Order: sequence, then C-alpha cells, then structure tokens
Amino acid sequence: MSLNEVWEAASASPFQPVVSKDGQFSVGFSLLLLALIFTGLFGLNRSFLSLASLGVPASLLFGFGAVFMICAVGVYV
Amino acid sequence: MRFITATVLGLVTSSLAAATNLTTPSRLALPADFKPPQVFKNTNLVRNTNLEKGYVRETINVVVENVDKQPQSDYYIPFPDEVFERVGGFEVRDKKAADKGRFVVDTTEAVSVGGQQYFIAHFPEPLAPKSQITLGISYAVLNSLSPRPAFIQQNDKQYLTYTFSAYTPSAYQTITQKTKVKFPSTNVPEYTTTSDLKSGADPERKGATYTYGPYDTAKVSPGTEYPITVRYEFTNPVVTVNLLERDLEVSHWGGNLATEDRYWLRNNGSELSSQFSRVDWTFSSYQRAPTSAVREITYPLKPGSVDPYFIDDIGNVSTSRYRPGNGKSNGLLELKPRYPIFGGWNYSFKVGWNNDLSAFLRQAAGQDSWVLKVPFIQGPKSDEGVQYERVVVRVILPEGAHNVRFQTVEGIASNGLPGANQIHARLSSLKTYMDTLGRTTLTLEVDSITDEARDAQLIVTYDHSFMDALRKPLTFFGGLLSVFVAVWFIGNIDVSIKKR
Repeated sequence: MSLNEVWEAASASPFQPVVSKDGQFSVGFSLLLLALIFTGLFGLNRSFLSLASLGVPASLLFGFGAVFMICAVGVYV
Repeated sequence: MRFITATVLGLVTSSLAAATNLTTPSRLALPADFKPPQVFKNTNLVRNTNLEKGYVRETINVVVENVDKQPQSDYYIPFPDEVFERVGGFEVRDKKAADKGRFVVDTTEAVSVGGQQYFIAHFPEPLAPKSQITLGISYAVLNSLSPRPAFIQQNDKQYLTYTFSAYTPSAYQTITQKTKVKFPSTNVPEYTTTSDLKSGADPERKGATYTYGPYDTAKVSPGTEYPITVRYEFTNPVVTVNLLERDLEVSHWGGNLATEDRYWLRNNGSELSSQFSRVDWTFSSYQRAPTSAVREITYPLKPGSVDPYFIDDIGNVSTSRYRPGNGKSNGLLELKPRYPIFGGWNYSFKVGWNNDLSAFLRQAAGQDSWVLKVPFIQGPKSDEGVQYERVVVRVILPEGAHNVRFQTVEGIASNGLPGANQIHARLSSLKTYMDTLGRTTLTLEVDSITDEARDAQLIVTYDHSFMDALRKPLTFFGGLLSVFVAVWFIGNIDVSIKKR
C-alpha cells in the first residue's frame, strides 16, 4: 500500500488540534493565572497537605499553560 | 521522589526507533574498459530540446529493439562525466504505458577520468528478442547555458549559447534520429548549419523551433559527435539557487505547520560591463522593459498561509507584499530583493510562513499513526525558470515521533524529482524550544533539480502517541513540582537554636 493510498484512506479524519489557534492565548493565560494563584496559596501554608492539594494542581496548570502560551506567541512547539 | 524519578525516566527513554525505507544513493562501479553490451538498437529517436527557461530541458522518445538472443532489461544512457552531475530529475518511462510509473534507474561511477557515466534504466519486464519498446526519457541539464557576450550594458539584450551534438549520445546504434530545438523567441542570431549530414536545409526552421535531421545514422558508430552551437536571445535572468534549505515544522500542540525556505541565489547571466546605474535602472523598471536582472520574485503560497516574513542578511526587507488567497485560491508573496540581481551577483534570503496543520495532516488507520502531505519544494514561479543545484528539505516532526516513512508522489507525468533511490534520506534529532529528547527530523537531500519539482508532493507517515504528546507539559509539571517539594522540605527543616 503506497503512502498516497494511506493519505487518501485517511481523508475522513483530518488533524484536529486540542485548542484552536484563536483560543491558545486565552487558554494559556487562564491556566498560567490559576497556576500563579495556586502557587501563592501554597506559599501561604507550606504543609504537606497543601503541597498535595495546591502544589500538584499548580504544577499541572503551569505545565499545560506554558505549552499553550508559547504556541500563542508564535513558537509552535 | 519515586514518582519524579519515574516521570523523568519515562521522559528520557528513547523513542527514536529505527525507521524504515531510508535511502542512501550509491553508484555502481564499472571496470575501466567497460562498454555497455550491444543488445539493443534504437530504431527511431526524436530528441526535444527546450531552451525556453534558464536551464536545458530534454525529452527523448526512442523506439528500442532487442537485437540479442536473450531477453534484456538494462538500458544504458551515457553522459560525459562533467555533465552527469548536472543532470536533474532524470526519468525513464514506457511511453505507451506512462501511467505505470517511472522505471527504476541506477547510476554508475565514471568509467575512467573524462569518460562516460551511465544511467541504467531497468525495464519492469525483460524485453523479448526482436520485440520493441518506446521509451520516454526526460531530464534537465543545469548550468549548461553560457552568456555570449559575457559582459553587457545594463539595458542590453542578453544572449545565451548552447552546444550539443547533432547525434544524440547513445550507447547503442541508432537507425534514424532528429533533434527539435525550441527557443524562447525567434531571435536566434547564430546557429550551426550542417552541410553533409542530410540532403536539403539543415536545420529546418519553423517559428521558434529548429529541427536538426532526420539523419540516417545506421552506419554511424555510437558515441560519434557532431557539435552544434546555437546562440539566442534570452533577456531574462538565469536564476540559479546554489542551495535551498527548507524546513517544515509540524506542531501538534499548536496545530501549525511552519515553513521556512532559505535561499542562496545567483544570476548566471551576462555580467555588467560598466558600473551599475541606479537612474537607468529606475527608468527601465518604470517602463517594465525586459532585463537580465532579477527584479521581483513571485512566490505562490498555499491557501490559508499566514504570517509571512522576508528576511535577508541585514534584516527584514520591507519591499515585499503579500496577497493572501481568498478561500481556495493560492496566496501570492511578491518579493523585491534589496537590489536588482544582475549577472554574477548573489543574494541570500529567507522566507517563511504558517499554515493550519489540519490541511496537511491526517490520522491514519492506527490510533497513534499520522500521515503528512506537504509540497516537496514551493519556490518562485517565473517564466524563465529556476535551477536548484542542491536542495535540503527537513521535515521536523513532533518530539517522540517514530516509525517514520516517506514517499514522493508519482503521477503520470514527471514530478521533476529524481527516483526514490537517488534521494538521500536520514533521520536525526533536533533540540529546540521546550524539548527534552529533541524532535525527530527527516532530512532529504537532492542535487540538481529545477522548478518543475514545484508540484511534487512529499508524504511522511509516523507514529506519535498521546504519551509522546504529554512529554512537554509533564516535563514542566515535574520541574515545578520539584521546586514545590524543595520549598516544602527546606521550609520544614528545624534550624532554630534551642535545647532538643
């Protein structure tokens, strides 16, 4: 099967990005803002409980927020 | 901590698995006294030489007969070794079954210094004794036109010369043959007239087409030459790209295909005999008079192309205009170089733009399998044509892509590219923004092609799973979480001075 046939066979499933180009900035900005707020709250009370309840979500939000923000500013990673 | 170790280990495991179908062109070595076996006879040969562009485009249609007692399948096509490297987009097809695709073609080393070098076309099925096949051989020869005079005034007409043999070079005996030369205009001040090759006028002229022959060459041994020189007007630039580097960067997170083309350009036309005059240039530009200089480069882009840029060694070049296509029509990038590029002058620049990835990428049958279809080269579109001495295309796939395969799309006509076994392909890793392992990069190198390859399409398939995609956010997650853990741990160390 030639690769061109693979391409034709896949015509019904074009690539769909998780977040469209227009939405990247707002999504990235919101995630980073939430990450900042969570980081601040963790800073107020550095217990193990707040590490689990605030630090982990803040890290996750920062991870995805950073990816969408760098795409939003034109560096498509 | 164990979690972080596990995460980091998971991130670092290599996913650049061995890829399939990567090729490295190789040339067959021949013994010093090699002569192609005389198993074929060219019954009738017609060569069409097209000089309308800044390179030579030749199409040879030849009826080949097997004169051996055994079925034969290897047809040798000779070129002098100094020309061989400049032959581009070489292709052989069965003229009567063009839709069956091109034949597999191998190349050889030079037989001796200054000797012949061969393309070997392998017929898909051996040709039985006494049966015939009609071959369509097409190729372009780069850098074979020389400007005469070599130095002209700024507003003068430019003339090029081309020298070839009246007898088409062939490894086999040819019974009858003729050559049709197509010029860009009827202004052909000098051309060789032959006296003893045939009865009647030779060449026969009809408009801008000159026909040498037909000649009866049954008694002429293969390899005999009869030099013909033509000199014709070509008041257009002879645009030569020494090197084109093209990057296609695929981003799943951004849903973007970023393209950047970097050009090292030269005009191989007549050089200026006196100093460049800006006043004369402005006059002639205003009148849109024909010129041997590159005045403007028009660069068609795919529909939906956005954010174009045009940068040279100094910085952004503001004399450019982008006409975005509406809906399905192509966009047009109109570039005016910083200065007109006259004969012997160089200009290097880069252009780039973005596209939505959804038009170029599809999800193949498997869950994590993707298929990408992109133009092999795009490049300027102009009447005078562009010749590329070397093209390096890099397809930068997302980090973690593996099982990479590629193919160029073949149609019923030539796609301007050499055969798949003449494309040098390799896989490497490129580290740039937010990368831990580096992005899987497929690099394809081709020498000597022309702007005919503009319509050629490249298809790349690769596997890229959801976990591969999560590598970037999880790396940042791990990094920030380790900061939090460090803050919590250090904050809980009791450093007070007191009695325990």
